[in-house]
Amino acid sequence: MIKYIARRLLMLIPVLLGVTFIVFTMMYITPGDPARLVLGESAPEEAVEALREEMGLNDPFLVQYFNYMKNLIVHRDLGISYVTRQPVMQEIVAAFPSTLKLAGSAVLFAIILGIPIGIISAVKKYSIFDNVTMAFALIGISMPVFWLGLLLILLFSVKLKMLPSSGYASFKHMILPAVSLGAQSVAIIARMTRSSMLEVSGQDYIRTARAKGQKEGTVVLKHAFRNALIPISTSVGLQFGSLLGGAVLTETIFSIPGIGRLMVDSIKMRDFPLVQGSVLVISVAFCIVNLLVDLYYAYIDPRVKTQYK
Amino acid sequence: MSKQTIKKIVFVLTVALMLTALAGCGGGQTDVTEKDELIVATAYDAKSLDPHAVNEVAASNVMLQIYNTLVVLDENGEVVPSLAESFEQVDDVTYKFTIRKGVKFHNGDEVTVEDAVFSLQRAATSPAVANLFGDIDPDSFEIIDDTSFTFQLKGANTGFLYNLVHPGASILSKKAVEEAGDNYAMNPVGTGPFKFVDWKKGDRIELERFEDYFGEKPAFSKMTIRAIPEATNRTIELESGGVDVAYDISANDVDRIEENEDLRLNRLVDNQTQYLGFNNQKEPFNDKRVRHAIRYALDIPAIVDAAWKGVGDVAIGPMSPNINYFKADIKQYENNIEKAKELLAEAGYPDGFKTKLWTNERQERIDMATIIQSQLKEIGIEVEVEILEWGSYLEKLGNGEQEMFIIGWTGQSSDPDLALYGPLSEETLGAGANFSFFLNDRVNELLLQGRRTPDSPEREAIYHEIQDIFAEELPWIPLCHGEAVVGTQNYVKNLELTPFGFHPLYKITFGE
Repeated sequence: MIKYIARRLLMLIPVLLGVTFIVFTMMYITPGDPARLVLGESAPEEAVEALREEMGLNDPFLVQYFNYMKNLIVHRDLGISYVTRQPVMQEIVAAFPSTLKLAGSAVLFAIILGIPIGIISAVKKYSIFDNVTMAFALIGISMPVFWLGLLLILLFSVKLKMLPSSGYASFKHMILPAVSLGAQSVAIIARMTRSSMLEVSGQDYIRTARAKGQKEGTVVLKHAFRNALIPISTSVGLQFGSLLGGAVLTETIFSIPGIGRLMVDSIKMRDFPLVQGSVLVISVAFCIVNLLVDLYYAYIDPRVKTQYK
Repeated sequence: MSKQTIKKIVFVLTVALMLTALAGCGGGQTDVTEKDELIVATAYDAKSLDPHAVNEVAASNVMLQIYNTLVVLDENGEVVPSLAESFEQVDDVTYKFTIRKGVKFHNGDEVTVEDAVFSLQRAATSPAVANLFGDIDPDSFEIIDDTSFTFQLKGANTGFLYNLVHPGASILSKKAVEEAGDNYAMNPVGTGPFKFVDWKKGDRIELERFEDYFGEKPAFSKMTIRAIPEATNRTIELESGGVDVAYDISANDVDRIEENEDLRLNRLVDNQTQYLGFNNQKEPFNDKRVRHAIRYALDIPAIVDAAWKGVGDVAIGPMSPNINYFKADIKQYENNIEKAKELLAEAGYPDGFKTKLWTNERQERIDMATIIQSQLKEIGIEVEVEILEWGSYLEKLGNGEQEMFIIGWTGQSSDPDLALYGPLSEETLGAGANFSFFLNDRVNELLLQGRRTPDSPEREAIYHEIQDIFAEELPWIPLCHGEAVVGTQNYVKNLELTPFGFHPLYKITFGE
């Protein structure tokens, strides 16, 4: 098991090398001059040129990439933001917790709502409940998050004055962002749970359980649900991983200073070190979440454990 | 777990959730007499609180509360001493300043002449504020005694004193800057009415009243400046009482705030001019008749009104009326399609031509571009509107790839030099903000003369002539000026707006 984890962590290295190279290349070929963007239209050309030199932007592409990687690997330093002149690590550390909080609460909301809906829909297949919830799930998947967010603000903040419309300080602040960001995940998880449950419930061991005279609840939750968990946890993991990548729209609408907004702002300003840094951190987070999901398989399905050597 | 227990837990959770929700319904009236905190919603978070690291409105807005400059503008727009006790212009290029005695920094140290010299020298050599202070010769500083010093400019520049009003000329504690090193931007130390307490990046900056401030003591002890990027949300926070002041109210929300009895809208036309630019070096825009034809074809008040919904003001000249030596009676063009067609035919384009109009992603600019497109169709000009992302837009404009484009230019002081030099001079051609690639020897000569000539009727004549030539040549078509639109609670008094987009919030008081 430990060997497996170590191997998986080692595999992070080529992934991250690939990610840095691709992002670096993309930023390099995108038009837009970081020095000019930092100083603004009114800055004299000499000042811009001086800054360009200072940032090392006049070096050839490979030299720039090599310098960046050297700094990253040798000094374990993500560099200094072009715009704020603060260490990139510090900027990311400031933004990541609120993203974690947002993604965490959105996924939690999605699990609490999505899994029961999926189970009930599967058990009561083609019932009114099933049809209605699956129709809602379709709407949930198709609904743009900013639209839902604004509607929720309109209803709960403006009309009912029950919840705050911006910020992230308390539980109360997180309700609306978590609901609007989690709505799609609810839909995805509910549909995944339903189809996975339906697939499992046709298996022989379910029939055996019923034949033994097990209570229906036990059959559904212990025999069917446990076996249906693998695809569900994969989809929860993927949802969480991608939400960690930042939810720019939700963060903007609810004024949450997360990593999504940080990354989009830094792309707009061509703040190369900050773009690189945030993409790197997001990739690491995504890989780790995936690894955790894989390890969780072993916990829920003993058959999988034997494969981890 | 038994069914009973689960039921109990669900019940408790439901009740708890409802209570939390109800707790938010409280709200109610704010007791003005006991109010001791000001909460402000702005559109962006500051990028840095080091006055020499950035030159942007959001940062200036915070710096204005924590720093002081040597001079400020009085209510008549005149430059008067602030942290300086007195100042004089010794000759064309030499300035002498005497600083106030006994002023303290937030760290308790007294402001010395070394701090002032250090700050201005640092400003003179920082690229971010080079457009304002690059003229200062950093080697020319001389300390005369323990309160006064002199320095020189590289060349005479009459508008220079106005630049010293900008937060970029704030006086910093030399010791604090050197001690903090790279972290100074997050640990600013000034002399202003408020001192820095905490900064949650992207979210809020917290300030606290500085009890040893040398000026008038602010009426409240805590100030929080929040970043709320979504315009609708700033209005909602204002309506629900979450903030006392909200910046950059969108045109869509103006009516809502005006109709709300608890709120007030404060407005001031600013120093920005949005314009429709041409590449004056490219055919067919190098022909003055074509530029005139396009101007005649446009109904600018209608364009501005539709796109900005009553926010801002129609521009009649190249600079905002706030700026010194603004000339109102320059040549004006009416909306006249026949005349436009005639001019176009004269220039050799009786059937019009095809061209591209660029703009960045700002919605109001896209709206203006779309209306311009349909108005120019009437005289046979087929316009294709292209929307570019800001970074690429600036680069392409600097390279001269544009045909027509929409952009804005802001005069960062009340002096006409900063308002006109950038978009019209030869030195700034292309990348330096003269995106129209406008070359006119007479205008260039006048701009240089205007910069050197002391304030006088002679200087007035120079800038009036520039505005007249501009109106005749029409290298770009002024569309509108921006407007600071700030919503406040009714109990917020003494909010003074400036045309620069950052406002002295420390002067606010609370009252019925």
